[in-house]
Amino acid sequence: MTQPALAHDCSNCPAHHSGNLVRLGVDMSDWDYVVALAGNPNTGKSTVFNALTGLRQHTGNWPGKTVTRAEGGFEVGGDRFKLVDLPGTYSLLSSSLDEETARDFILFGRPDVTVIVVDATRLERNLNLALQVLEITDRAVVCLNLMDEARRQGLDVDARRLARDLGVPVVATAARSGEGLDELNRTIAEVASGAYRCRPRRVGGRSPALREATRSLSGAIQDAFPTLPNPQWVALRLLDGDPTLAAAVESGSLAELVDPEVPEDAGGEAIPVGGDPLLAAGEAFRAGGKGLSEGGEVFRPGGEAFPVDGEALTTGGEAAARSVTEPRATRAAAIEIAESQAAADPAARAAVLELAGQLRWRVGRNFHQALTEAVFAEAARIADRAVTRDGERGRFDFDARLDRLVTSRVFGFPLMLLMLTVVFWLTIAGANVPSSMLATLLIDTVHPLLKQVASAFGLVWWLDGLLIDGVYLATAWVVAVMLPPMAIFFPLFTLLEDFGYLPRVAFNLDRMFHRVGAHGKQALTMAMGWGCNAAAIVSTRIIDSPRERLIAIVTNNFSLCNGRWPTQILIASIFIGGLVPAHLAGAVSALSVVGVAVLGVFLTFAVSWLLSRTVLRGEASAFSLELPPYRPPRVLQTIYTSIIDRTLIVLWRAVIFAAPAGAVIWLLSNIQAGDGSLAAWLIGALDPFGFALGLSGIILVAYIIAVPANEIVIPTILMLTVLVAGVPGVGAGAGVMFELDSEVATARVLEAGGFTLLTAVCLMLFSLVHNPCSTTLYTIWKETRSVRWTAVSALLPVAMGLLLCFVVAQVWRALS
Amino acid sequence: MNPLLALLVLAAVVALAVLVARPDDGWLWRWRLGWRTLQRARTEDALKHLFDCEYQGRLATHQSLVGVLRLGGRRGAELIARMEALGLLVSAEGGFRLTDEGRGEALRVIRIHRLWERYFADETGLEPRRWHPEAERREHLTSPAQADDLSVRLGHPRFDPHGDPIPTPEGELPPPAGRALTDFAAGDEVEVVHVEDEPDAVYAQLVAEGIHPGMRLRVVSVAPERIRFVADFDEVVLAPVIAANVFGAPVAEAADDEATRDEVGAVPLSSVGVGERAQVLGFSRFCRGMERRRLLDLGLLPGTLVEAKMTSPSGDPIAYRVRGAVIALRRSQAEQIRVEQVAQEVTA
Repeated sequence: MTQPALAHDCSNCPAHHSGNLVRLGVDMSDWDYVVALAGNPNTGKSTVFNALTGLRQHTGNWPGKTVTRAEGGFEVGGDRFKLVDLPGTYSLLSSSLDEETARDFILFGRPDVTVIVVDATRLERNLNLALQVLEITDRAVVCLNLMDEARRQGLDVDARRLARDLGVPVVATAARSGEGLDELNRTIAEVASGAYRCRPRRVGGRSPALREATRSLSGAIQDAFPTLPNPQWVALRLLDGDPTLAAAVESGSLAELVDPEVPEDAGGEAIPVGGDPLLAAGEAFRAGGKGLSEGGEVFRPGGEAFPVDGEALTTGGEAAARSVTEPRATRAAAIEIAESQAAADPAARAAVLELAGQLRWRVGRNFHQALTEAVFAEAARIADRAVTRDGERGRFDFDARLDRLVTSRVFGFPLMLLMLTVVFWLTIAGANVPSSMLATLLIDTVHPLLKQVASAFGLVWWLDGLLIDGVYLATAWVVAVMLPPMAIFFPLFTLLEDFGYLPRVAFNLDRMFHRVGAHGKQALTMAMGWGCNAAAIVSTRIIDSPRERLIAIVTNNFSLCNGRWPTQILIASIFIGGLVPAHLAGAVSALSVVGVAVLGVFLTFAVSWLLSRTVLRGEASAFSLELPPYRPPRVLQTIYTSIIDRTLIVLWRAVIFAAPAGAVIWLLSNIQAGDGSLAAWLIGALDPFGFALGLSGIILVAYIIAVPANEIVIPTILMLTVLVAGVPGVGAGAGVMFELDSEVATARVLEAGGFTLLTAVCLMLFSLVHNPCSTTLYTIWKETRSVRWTAVSALLPVAMGLLLCFVVAQVWRALS
Repeated sequence: MNPLLALLVLAAVVALAVLVARPDDGWLWRWRLGWRTLQRARTEDALKHLFDCEYQGRLATHQSLVGVLRLGGRRGAELIARMEALGLLVSAEGGFRLTDEGRGEALRVIRIHRLWERYFADETGLEPRRWHPEAERREHLTSPAQADDLSVRLGHPRFDPHGDPIPTPEGELPPPAGRALTDFAAGDEVEVVHVEDEPDAVYAQLVAEGIHPGMRLRVVSVAPERIRFVADFDEVVLAPVIAANVFGAPVAEAADDEATRDEVGAVPLSSVGVGERAQVLGFSRFCRGMERRRLLDLGLLPGTLVEAKMTSPSGDPIAYRVRGAVIALRRSQAEQIRVEQVAQEVTA
């Protein structure tokens, strides 16, 4: 049986591995090709990403990992390309989560093209990663980015020379201004379609002993997986003890990585298929010639290309069956059959691991260093040939001067405080108006409207109360209070980050954090916490050492968040401002709120110190902090991504948690048990305990049921007070949260609830030191995947808060 | 009821509950594990001792076994009798020998022990002196499946941090290599292959001197009262009784770049002032594991030119220009990097 249709050149077919891509979380149903974007951190990788995809993108996580991933798409000449942004890494040789993620994607997802973004101003350092990527995959395009910056610094980078040395196309770009992007698009399409065949350089220059070990091991690998494109790289990884690859060899899944491309020495003629259609399918596939590719003819396999007899179905499995209907799947079937062919020999696979084990006893202990040195040496040689220097000048001086200023002994810290103050002032001043507008709209207008509509439809009172007074009101409250400040704070923060200032802050403050066993970047996550703890927990991803990251996560709650500032300000201005003459009231109450925030910073340090000396003493730790060059921030993109990525996601989570809490609040206030509501009963039960803490039953109940969001604590306290203490003329009924416009009226309600100066002080302290809101807790769980650490983050501050309030109350009462 | 009293009672109850029920070292846990584990631990310790003797070509005696296990004569005899009954050891010419089954068991325990040590060294900040005792404690509580998980997580390590090979799950182990440092002569290039972790006091001193497997050294002089050698830029002097616990193998044909690094003029990177340039020579012998990998990935390799750019307002960390990027390093890290000052004309 001859199958001429199979003997085509499939270099125009996608190379990606659909099955693995699905496992890696990439859905290829609407796409022709998948393109991976790799690069060092701070190379403008995300600029390239944005420039290629425009707004057709979305962000999420890698499946099962807390590593951010962005995906987007673009079209070239009718072909649809899916672009996957890999985590920015310096290397692929270590075992950090980011590097593992990037490596696994290039290896197992087998993207049709891997675009390696390199910084033209720091070529040597960036080529380190590029060379490592080229060890894994043949299909790559180097995007020589930041050419504009290089020109300004007087560097001349010879892209042609670089392309010759690397063996893959090199496109010079300046993604910020759009320079070179069309060519990049075209080149990606050429490599993806196989019109351009890469012959990447593989690193040499290793010691004789190492070369010998690599040679014998890659020989064994080739025996077990005859069609593997990169046996040498796999050998090196096995010698370095890479557990992922060892597992892939053991299970045979490495065979899925056979090269779909045709070996260049293969003939162009069709291979007649003999008795074994499976073997022939694989063979034909691999042997399909360069004749066609050189002829430039585009050839897609027809639907009937593959014989669907019993044998093919049983061994080729699903893919072969699919091939009848889907033209593209034919190739997949062919590959998978070639794979099953290649992976057929478990003994050979065991032999590979066996040999690797033996050799690893011999290659010794400094293997990793030798490996790294070889790659860097190669990178240095290539970079040297490609770059001509014209002396350093221009922005370089500007950077250096700015750095001297922001890290100077005299101006460093004041500048930091100034920046922080400006950010806060902008946030508070800017959020005031939209916040009150949202409150007017959602709470004062829509809420009564909904009530009217409900009564017009004759909705039963309890359903109306539960849904509109409970669920809707709580949600509306959270949105109105939370959205505007976050929508201002996060973009401002991201702009500073983009500009390059934030790493300098970490640099300036690292000493203080180092002393308590933490990372300087915790300064940034702490400041983020002043906006929103949940978003700050996500941002701890910038801390790349697991121990320091946990410290930052657990202590983040001591940053007084956006939901708690209003509580502090309200209570301080009523009770503490009331102590002093009217003209001082504002300043004194503001000072007391700042005092609470500073106490929070102090507690952050204290708890970090405690954790790093006790529970986290044995955890791993490493420090590194890159200070990237200053770059003009991209304002619009920043606003867009920070609103989408940070604000809306967190807001969504908060709403999901606030809605049921609204229902609970309403139900507690309206279900009668004996001669009072459940809420009243709970308050009565907790009152003695609350008194001992200098608080009250009302406050404790409010904190328990308002765990989803700190924003609704004050409205809940007011509502509960009216419920149990019965203040005439205020409130909107049991279970309906409210706030009052005037401080005087609020004070009257609170005093009716038994509030004293002590209550106020203890409430301010407890508001700072208590469990994080449920949104934050959920985020902590998502980030750490550990029930234990989530529990610690919740219980530690509660215990501290109870103790603190108890001590303050007892001392206070003993003194007065 | 007085709220103060109530709170105190509550706190006391909680504290007590934690003490009793805490996993790993709570009283309840210890009590439950107690007797059975003790028996198992003693048997396993005995197996390890027998294997050690065999590996080094000695014969284990009743005396040595009882001494290692710190057991009284009667209990020791009981233990040996039980192990003999289980078919783990046999008596032979005045001592004991492992049966095949006993050897398999011993290798299993040794594998777990060395995996734990590797784990403590690579993945935790536990101080080196605690590796061995901590592994001694955990080896008896680890199942083979847990050991395999650990091995995968660590990337199937081949050596423990003392330089000893880790047996494979099938119980394979290469023959012992290397001889005591005291057996080498002046001028020998030696790679340390093993640092004996017992007795504790000697090991503590070796740790304090930064002696670790994989490091290269050149013996300068061997005298009855002290041994001098050069290791990673520094001269180290050890008493022979200490040096006898360090085992090394001669370095055959050391390539140029792998020779012992003892160039004159090596200073720590932390001593390079702002604006000055230096060339990296290598790392101190105290910098290893994850820390060393991280620095390598950042491009700090021998031969790399580095320029100190600026200091944080508090004096630490310091930012360096390394291969085009500005990288901040803490002083404690910079002290581990040995460099040579470079004249100002050279461009980094």
